[in-house]
Amino acid sequence: MTTFPLLTILIFLPLAGTLLLLPAWRRSGWVRPLALIVGMAELALCCWLTVVVGSGTKLPTTVLPGYFLREDLTWIKRLGVHYLLGMDGISLPLVLLTSFVTVIAMIASWRAVTEKVALHYTLLLVMESGIMGVFLSLDLFLFYLFWEVMLVPMFFLIGIWGHGRRIYSAVKFFLYTLTGSLLMLVAIIVLYLLHGSQTGQYSFALPDLLRTVVPHGTGLWLYGAFLLAFAIKFPIVPLHTWLPDAHTDAPTAGSVILAGLLLKTGAYGLIRFGYPLFPDAARLFSPLLIALAVTGILYAAWIAYAQTDMKRLVAYSSIGHMGFVALGIAVWTPVALSGAVLQMVNHGVTTAALFVLVGMLDERAGTRDIGAFGGLWDKAPQLSFCFFFFAMASAGLPVLNNFVGEFLILAGTFRGHHLAATLAFLGIVLPLIYTVRLVQELLFQTERQPLPVADLTLREGGVLGVMVMIDLYLGLHPAPLLAIIRFPVSLLTGTDGGTP
Amino acid sequence: MSMVDLWPVIPLLVITAGALTALICGAVGPGRHPYIVAIIALLGAGCWALQPVPLPEATLPGVAFHPFARFFTVLFTLTGAATLLLSMEYNLERQIRGEEYPATVLFAVFGMCALVTASNLLILFLALEALSFAFYILVAIDLRKNESAEAGLKYLLQGAVASAFIAFGIALVYCGCGTLEIAVAMQGGTDTAGAPPLFIGGWGFIIIGFAFKVSLVPAHLWTPDVYQGAPTPVAAFLSTGSKGAALAALLLLMMPLKTGTFLHHPLWIMALLSMVVGNCAALVQTSLKRMLAYSSIAQMGYLALALLTVTREGYRAVVFYIVVYTVLNLAAFGALSTLLRSCDGEALEGLRGKGYVRPFPGAVLALAMFGLAGIPPTAGFIGKFFIFAAALRGGETMLAVIGILTAALSVFYYLRVVVNLYLNPLDAPPSGERVTLPEGLVFGACSVVIFFIGIHPGPLFNLVDRIIP
Repeated sequence: MTTFPLLTILIFLPLAGTLLLLPAWRRSGWVRPLALIVGMAELALCCWLTVVVGSGTKLPTTVLPGYFLREDLTWIKRLGVHYLLGMDGISLPLVLLTSFVTVIAMIASWRAVTEKVALHYTLLLVMESGIMGVFLSLDLFLFYLFWEVMLVPMFFLIGIWGHGRRIYSAVKFFLYTLTGSLLMLVAIIVLYLLHGSQTGQYSFALPDLLRTVVPHGTGLWLYGAFLLAFAIKFPIVPLHTWLPDAHTDAPTAGSVILAGLLLKTGAYGLIRFGYPLFPDAARLFSPLLIALAVTGILYAAWIAYAQTDMKRLVAYSSIGHMGFVALGIAVWTPVALSGAVLQMVNHGVTTAALFVLVGMLDERAGTRDIGAFGGLWDKAPQLSFCFFFFAMASAGLPVLNNFVGEFLILAGTFRGHHLAATLAFLGIVLPLIYTVRLVQELLFQTERQPLPVADLTLREGGVLGVMVMIDLYLGLHPAPLLAIIRFPVSLLTGTDGGTP
Repeated sequence: MSMVDLWPVIPLLVITAGALTALICGAVGPGRHPYIVAIIALLGAGCWALQPVPLPEATLPGVAFHPFARFFTVLFTLTGAATLLLSMEYNLERQIRGEEYPATVLFAVFGMCALVTASNLLILFLALEALSFAFYILVAIDLRKNESAEAGLKYLLQGAVASAFIAFGIALVYCGCGTLEIAVAMQGGTDTAGAPPLFIGGWGFIIIGFAFKVSLVPAHLWTPDVYQGAPTPVAAFLSTGSKGAALAALLLLMMPLKTGTFLHHPLWIMALLSMVVGNCAALVQTSLKRMLAYSSIAQMGYLALALLTVTREGYRAVVFYIVVYTVLNLAAFGALSTLLRSCDGEALEGLRGKGYVRPFPGAVLALAMFGLAGIPPTAGFIGKFFIFAAALRGGETMLAVIGILTAALSVFYYLRVVVNLYLNPLDAPPSGERVTLPEGLVFGACSVVIFFIGIHPGPLFNLVDRIIP
């Protein structure tokens, strides 16, 4: 156990940062840089941690295998709730992603948000705290708390700064996700009581609960409840209907965080809690999950093709990509699982960039209708290049990052599930169709309406430039990241590592 | 009778003296003075109950000042004080003048405290009547509003029937067990052969009476009308104090039971109906007060869910949730009475965009809504968690799952308030809804408690464990 509460700082730094905004509440000119400083500080902390971990420096050893850092305090003694945080090779990339995407979201809403600026940035910071908490909690009670806390800021982000049917979308998002999580809460309580009756010691801590002997029938129900909550967040196809609405009506920062981070929490929950807690039930459910994941991949590609609103198109493409992650988790082989974790990071960066770009176009032209644009390459070459780049990355072009993740997932799937892998391979090809159409209509088609599309400003160029570099780096040299992911994945899948 | 015998009833004496002083004070110096006197009396009584020294064994017949009673005395005096603080500005605005208002509130608190101090069925019934009488008056105190009088009459008629049920139930229990001493009577008398049929029958009547008092479906019909008609602070007091007191009395009766299995089925049905009907009906309300009334019916359903386990753990969850629910509802009704002070009706639309122009009460109302919906890190989450954990531990899996699903439904109408506060534009510039200092005090205290219990519930857990060992 470390003496320095690094993980606590990681979670609560953004929340404490909101206090910094209070004195400047009415001066939007001050609020933006102040919030950005907090976000940058968090990002710097995460980067430093990654470098330290990546360079193989020994961090203080912990009791839990595979974890770099751990903090354990008794929180609610009466219920056996612990303030148990831990960071391993799966949470580290996601934590890094969280701090990065939040900074992107802050910069993306720099000019787009002009009303209630301080509230907007406060919500972004609160959200960051919530998501960090989700990725770092190892106590189910604590996890559930953060899991619900992160809904509230997103509800307000969509509801206050959104467009179109923002209230409908915000409420739908909130209710949809909450219903799933409430059933998970029942499952958590049942598991907790089961553990208590077996050992006489009531605890919510994951390491304790992992030792619980769950009867087969009960396990199916409990896993079902967990799966439902996570599948809604994912979203896995029949439960995805909240996502296009939420994305379309959310402001840019909301979409960026929604796609970049919130969707990942579902996948993370399944990896961290769902499978390890109920291995038998998970194995039994896995064909269903594989079928749904493949359906999702194909269905999303099909629907995305029919979209005229480019934000909606990106939202559907996002469902498809998360289908790959779901597939990687469902087959639960070391290679596929590493691919899934990697794909979460890749998708987070690429889709966030696409939403930022769509937001920029919307901001400039005042429309998101694909049919209204055309000939952007001549008018705004830098913006067009970035759009082209990220569209190709999203479509899984080799050399770029998404390809690596999807390839690993398919490679891991093929061994045991030929049909699923073959169908999912189609899912790599199909996105090319709608992506090429999008790119063609937007960038290369002759201009249809004289829309005022200026090229990137320095701020926008800087952000996108960094994201381009990250995409290239992860595409060309994913080995360091995979090395971090590899050990916990091998622990989870019960193999000696595999060769991702 | 020595001085020591009086110890357990000192809070009651202080409250009564305070009520009389308030009445006299009204004749000499009207305005805010009676309120201040009443608040001081309540806080004094609360402090007396708070003192850490164990009180000497009471020898007075019919009352016992055990930790359970002390705990609730503090809760009820604070609730009464909060009600008075909230009422000051509201009553001035609505021209509810006179010292009878604070005095009646004190009489109601007297009833509540006497109720939890009772160790004798007769005292319990008298206290319940004292409490109900005070509320009949308080509900109808707004003489300029016809709805207020109507609500008062409705509450009086139904309340009288409920009291009759309880009285008859007590009589039957007495016939069956031959004693009015709660601790002995609830063991089913001195007869060890098992609970006599008269005892069970008496409990049937008692449960029906209490179902009315805490408004469990199907005895809930008075609730929305009365809440709507009553002045908002009175509605706050009614939904927190009177229900808390009735639940505490029910706990007092249920705790000594040897076996409570005969209560399981009626409570099961009432819990189910309350959760389903309360939450569904709240969905379609357009009046905020009616919505909160149905919401409180649903909340009572959750409490019944913990009660029907007839376990210590369930009772602890009930006590915990009473505290949480009291704070949340005080905050909700209090913020409403401020926000809607200038509007005539209490339509949901009256809140449009007010979250920005009236940040403090707006935020408190939103917090209370999130709390009632059970979203962490508010106290509402921990309270609901405790309730559902107790229900699942008691083996009520199906009812708990239904309860959770209706709770998900309830989020919709709680969110509607938040949507109107923050997501809808302001219609007209508001006027005359400044937060006064007394209201601010209540709001601040409630918000702090909501967050404190939500983040650090340990102390309250310890307290609850101590009063229900």
